[in-house]
Amino acid sequence: MIDNDGVTVSVVVEVDAPTAFDVFISDVDLWWRKDPYFRFTPGRQGTMRFEPGDGGRLLEVYDELGEDVFEVGRILVWNPGVELAFEWRARNYEPGERTEVRIGFEDIGYGTRVTLRHVGWSRLRPGHPATHGLVGDEFHTMIGGAWSVRLREFRGRVRARGS
Amino acid sequence: MIADRSSSEDAASDDVDGVLLALAEPTRRGVIDLLKERPHRAGELAEAFGMSPPAMSRHIRVLRRTGLIEDERTREDARVRMLRLRQEPFVLLHAWLDQVEAYWRDQLGSFKDHVEKKHPRRKR
Repeated sequence: MIDNDGVTVSVVVEVDAPTAFDVFISDVDLWWRKDPYFRFTPGRQGTMRFEPGDGGRLLEVYDELGEDVFEVGRILVWNPGVELAFEWRARNYEPGERTEVRIGFEDIGYGTRVTLRHVGWSRLRPGHPATHGLVGDEFHTMIGGAWSVRLREFRGRVRARGS
Repeated sequence: MIADRSSSEDAASDDVDGVLLALAEPTRRGVIDLLKERPHRAGELAEAFGMSPPAMSRHIRVLRRTGLIEDERTREDARVRMLRLRQEPFVLLHAWLDQVEAYWRDQLGSFKDHVEKKHPRRKR
């Protein structure tokens, strides 16, 4: 779903909310897409990691010591089993610019509805590559990937999935 | 690797910047919401937000300048200025947000596959 400030996507997972939240955080590198389109430094693929808790961060880590990192954003809301929110910044953002990802975990009996909102697009400065509405390279730079041909493949896969 | 954008893409990205700037202001977002329902006179918009006509005119100018709204010519009375939405800027912004939405659909799909494989439901 798209509104004036961003997008909302949801999925139902057949586990309880605390488990969904825990796996979302602890296993982030196992489920986060490995295609370069979904990564933050062109030409490099690291390990995705949440530093958990208030004051934590979402990182892509490129070395074993954890010193060579790209910080996607700080955690803004940490409410296990209920809500997670973090900043989202990619390479072409200015200091102080950010969008926000907010994720709700809602118990619906037989599972958990995970609802993700990515908002704050209207707050970016004019001319920010993320706001260049047309397809392709700017979007990849914003997200962190590199390959323009992948976009067509990617959208084909999403549509084929029937979502 | 960023390819050079054509001039038509530059014009299009200016449109998206304008849309985002215009929508960063709550009154203008409210005006857009009203115009989504139907065209309105400028005076109606001022009343709807409890604003003086000059104050609302400032917002209307921003929305016209960024190409979000336009005059609708009415036959009955040429003096009555009806304002309505233009579709093109929303098409561009939505194209952008469409990609963001697809990105997160793919990520959440991957999360679902992983968590359900890790914690399968007990078979009955």
